Amino acid sequence: MEIFNTIANGLRDWLMGSLGFSATATEIITTAVWTLVAILFVMINLIILVWMERKLAAYFQLRRGPNRLGPAGFLQFPVDIVKVLGKEDIIPANADRFIFKIASTCAFITSLTAFAVIPFSEGVALLQNLNIGIFYFIAVGSTATLSLLMGGWSSNNKYSLLGGMRTVAQMISYEIPMVFSLLGVVMIAGSLNLTDIVNAQKNTWFVIPQLIAFIVFFIAATAELNRGPFDLAEGEQELVAGYMTEYSGIRWAIYMIAEYGNLVASSAIISIMFLGGWNAPFGLTFIPPFLWLMLKIYLVIFVFMWIRWTLPRIRIDHLMHFGWKFLIPVSLANILVTGIGVYVYRMITL
Amino acid sequence: MFGKGIFKGLKITIGHLFEKKVTQQYPEERPVLPARFKGSFDLNVAKCIACGLCSNACPNHVIKIESVKDENNKKKLTGYKMLAEQCLYCGFCVEVCPTKALQWNHDYERAKFFRDEVNLDLYAKYTPSPDDDKKDIPEKNVKPEEKQDESAKAS
Amino acid sequence: MLKTQELTLNMGPQHPSTHGVFRCVLKLEGEYIRECVNHTGYLHRGLEKLAEARTYSQFIPYNGRLDYVSGMLNELSYVQTVEKLMGITEEIPERAQYLRIILGELQRLASHAIYVGTFALDMAGFTPFMYAFRDRDRMLDLIEAASGQRLMPNYMRIGGVAADLDEEWFKELEILMNDMPACIDEYDGILTGNEIMRARTIGVAPVSAEMALSYGFTGPNLRASGFDYDLRRDEPYGIYDRFKFDVPVRKDGDTYDRYCIRVAEMRESVKIIKQAMKDIPEGPIMAKVPKVIKPPVGEAFHRIENSKGHLGFHIVSDGSTKPYRTRIYSPCFVNLGFLPTTAKGLHLMDLVVALASIDIVLGEVDR
Repeated sequence: MEIFNTIANGLRDWLMGSLGFSATATEIITTAVWTLVAILFVMINLIILVWMERKLAAYFQLRRGPNRLGPAGFLQFPVDIVKVLGKEDIIPANADRFIFKIASTCAFITSLTAFAVIPFSEGVALLQNLNIGIFYFIAVGSTATLSLLMGGWSSNNKYSLLGGMRTVAQMISYEIPMVFSLLGVVMIAGSLNLTDIVNAQKNTWFVIPQLIAFIVFFIAATAELNRGPFDLAEGEQELVAGYMTEYSGIRWAIYMIAEYGNLVASSAIISIMFLGGWNAPFGLTFIPPFLWLMLKIYLVIFVFMWIRWTLPRIRIDHLMHFGWKFLIPVSLANILVTGIGVYVYRMITL
Repeated sequence: MFGKGIFKGLKITIGHLFEKKVTQQYPEERPVLPARFKGSFDLNVAKCIACGLCSNACPNHVIKIESVKDENNKKKLTGYKMLAEQCLYCGFCVEVCPTKALQWNHDYERAKFFRDEVNLDLYAKYTPSPDDDKKDIPEKNVKPEEKQDESAKAS
Repeated sequence: MLKTQELTLNMGPQHPSTHGVFRCVLKLEGEYIRECVNHTGYLHRGLEKLAEARTYSQFIPYNGRLDYVSGMLNELSYVQTVEKLMGITEEIPERAQYLRIILGELQRLASHAIYVGTFALDMAGFTPFMYAFRDRDRMLDLIEAASGQRLMPNYMRIGGVAADLDEEWFKELEILMNDMPACIDEYDGILTGNEIMRARTIGVAPVSAEMALSYGFTGPNLRASGFDYDLRRDEPYGIYDRFKFDVPVRKDGDTYDRYCIRVAEMRESVKIIKQAMKDIPEGPIMAKVPKVIKPPVGEAFHRIENSKGHLGFHIVSDGSTKPYRTRIYSPCFVNLGFLPTTAKGLHLMDLVVALASIDIVLGEVDR
């Protein structure tokens, strides 16, 4: 996306030339601006996503969903945020106050840092040419577990504790097939850099040679995101609200924001790794690449929501069996087959 | 095949995505009420003979009647209160009324800000209408049925 | 060796999935239940005592407050008990009998629709819940048109029914009954065949036929355990002997079977209503009963096949206008007794499903 680079370069020139900042200061300020843009991006997406989730849930269930505030209820969520800000900040009597206070913020930060490597178009990313992009994403994403456990532990509530424990078990188990399924893509592309991976999909999207990896990653991502049918950490029916039971007001809202932020990040990774990123299919290049990526992200999010509002919740032991006894062997087999395929391909072409 | 049931469910939900929605937009769209709908009560004071059958039939002793005897030794209603807080809305009072003075109406928006406002003072609420003076007995018997027919047509 | 400790978890009375104000205290080992103790009584309103302070017909509206999702059937049970006490069971007019069957089965459909919905909801399937409630609302609309209220109908009377129903109502009913099989297929599609749902319900909290009998299970829960007993067929009350319907029976008695029985029964109820609609005669809707009901001295017990099980009333009369004693035999309360035994070793998530599968309504458990 040329315009972003133009703006960034213009900003850099302005800071260095007209205002006379040093090169380091310019770099810091530019990065800060990018971070703000990332936060803004998450927030705009969040408003759309919450609206979309509510509307879709309602439409699947033959209801109308929010339709009072703004066009088709679009302003419901901003008004909700205002309401949530006005609420009392309740901290349970025997809670671990410090951890309780920072837990939700930690969740938000982890979901935000994941956006650093996501390229929204050729060269448009916070850390542009990080050559371990996907590795960074996985590493940052896995720390999200910790913030949920912090919330569950510090609330001093049995339901919260059980929810936190479930989160740890679930997330650690599903981290493994998630990484394994990405390995196939990395092997074909020959790079960990997300921009290179997208560029490698100019002709064929990786969803075709890596269909199994795509399915495994999709399931694992659903579990990582704590979305139905894997929303055991929240488990409303048995754990009231899981790790969020004692949270209310703005702290609760930050958890929700983090959750939707993760949803966007994971969908973006799915689009980039498997669905060709900003590459236009069928030669439909008149739509700008940035919009293509957003379109793919929202398509993936739609499927996430569709699944969530159809399926009942899976039981935790089935979840574990499914993760360890099905997804991990399948993803390992996929690595093996991909490895042989890549080897044979190189033998033929070279 | 594993996953067949899941896909069937997904097919059903996507089928409903663009279907006509079933919920009513309440304040704008008013519900169509059946003729027998039990909402609140109306008392035609001119018809009431203060016999006290309604108050006797009530399971919860909700109805409080005050009456005086006039010179012909005929009872005349001077007060009719309903403690609607305790009312079961069973409708025995309406069923038992010999002159059909007590009737259901379709007023269902009964939520009030203060507790006292919930209770009904049907005697004070009543506004006399020109039909009251007509003492023809047949017309009295016909009237409630007509009313029902009309509301049935409307719904 | 790590020091381990049991976790005592208080589930309810405020909890999203205890179906009201049921409370159980669980001792957990991890998330597996070692001990479960039932606590009921949070919704006790003293309905049996209220019955003693009211005349026979004045108690009819209170039946809707018993099991508040099947008011019509509760009223039917109470009214038939009083009729038995007065000895006028044979004098009920034909049309009233048919109307009772139609509305009773309609209420059973509504109650089972709630069951299917809440069962799905307790596994976090929110969409099937809404589909079930969409259909239930149409049934309630019909009940409202017949009686004036949706949940507390107060439609049955001692000696007949409160109001006659016109052709328009029957037309609406026919449309609904023609739509119902497709709706039930939809529940089947979204829920019954779903692998996640099957994995969560098959083999969970099984109740054998012997255990079901010894715990006093009745109704669909008993039939799910393989004991073929339906009062509508085996001790027909009213005019149930005139209708042809199957009694679905399953053998394992786990939560999945208890769910399937309900779905199968919904189909049977549709059949019964269709037959009754075809045969219903014209005629009066009330028998000649005195205005002040004074049954002779004596007592009567009568039970019917409620949507949850056998709902029985035992009324003792001392010859006055008010019953000397009214005892309500509540199927929900009896069925709930299986929980402490079955819950041992269950996962916390299964407990919720097991509790949902026996279909309790706290209004009836606590009376």
